[in-house]
Amino acid sequence: MPGQLIDVVKRGGERPTEQFTRDKLHASVLAACLSVRSPEGEAETAATNVCEAVIIWCGRKSEVTSHDLRRKAAEHLHRIHPEAAYLYKHHRLVL
Amino acid sequence: MQPLESLIIVAMAALVHASFQLSVSMLTLLSSHTIGAKHSHRRLLRLSGSFTLGVVVMTLFMLSTIALFAQKLLKSTDMMFAWIAVCGLLFGLGVAVWIFYYRREQGTTLWIPRPLALFLAERTKQTKQAAEAFSLGLTSVIAEFLFIVPPMLVSALVLLSLPALWQLGGILLYVLISLSSLLIVHMLIGGGHRISRIQQWREEHKRFLQFAAGSGLLILGFYVYVDRVLSPAVMSAAMGVM
Repeated sequence: MPGQLIDVVKRGGERPTEQFTRDKLHASVLAACLSVRSPEGEAETAATNVCEAVIIWCGRKSEVTSHDLRRKAAEHLHRIHPEAAYLYKHHRLVL
Repeated sequence: MQPLESLIIVAMAALVHASFQLSVSMLTLLSSHTIGAKHSHRRLLRLSGSFTLGVVVMTLFMLSTIALFAQKLLKSTDMMFAWIAVCGLLFGLGVAVWIFYYRREQGTTLWIPRPLALFLAERTKQTKQAAEAFSLGLTSVIAEFLFIVPPMLVSALVLLSLPALWQLGGILLYVLISLSSLLIVHMLIGGGHRISRIQQWREEHKRFLQFAAGSGLLILGFYVYVDRVLSPAVMSAAMGVM
């Protein structure tokens, strides 16, 4: 994975493809954890663990969809922090 | 009609309004992003307070405007037709809410146009200032216009028959009751409750809320039809016989 470029296909190809960045995934998981009032240290650890798990899942793939990334991240987050995982998974389904 | 009886109809219409969920969804989303972005609790309260104030102002403005137009446009001879039209709207919307209000997917997605929902979600995410949150509150009421117009029309027509001071009381009563669900969520978030729990509760009970809103509209329509359309017609027929 280090140095490997992975394209992320956004929303079924409706939006332009972008490159996978660990920081972006980390920030989104961290925000979900903080949203459920998780302590900052705990949220950081959860975000780091989820990012590592997702990167392992990405393996040698050259392309993943944003939906799959979110689903995988939510699966791993669910093991660590179910409430944050719920919010992470459903944040597009509120309105 | 007695003022108290009129205010009960206004309160019932406001309760139906309170069961609509767009503003609550937007407040939940706004709070979730504010907490997630590590902003202070004070800022969270300021943003959610401004949002709620925006909803108050737009609800006040909309109800007053509808009442003003009804007063200017409707003559006393048109009132019967106006009541019949409003009853038709209430019945139609009641059935539509039963069938359509929430989408058949996970979460609490509503039956509003998807581009509008995405725009509101994006705007909510980007809201950082109290003024933005205030205008977002105004917008949330406009976005739900289709659903809240019938209960507002009922309240406006009822208020027209009241003395000025009672009209003012009626408008305030409507705003207060229609805002109750939003105020509860605002207080829960302010009190430190987790957004995920609030959202989970909303998702688990969305079918009940949908049923309650649709039934509320039908019951209100039935009551208004009997009270404002049938009773005067029966009375005038009885007077004609005598």
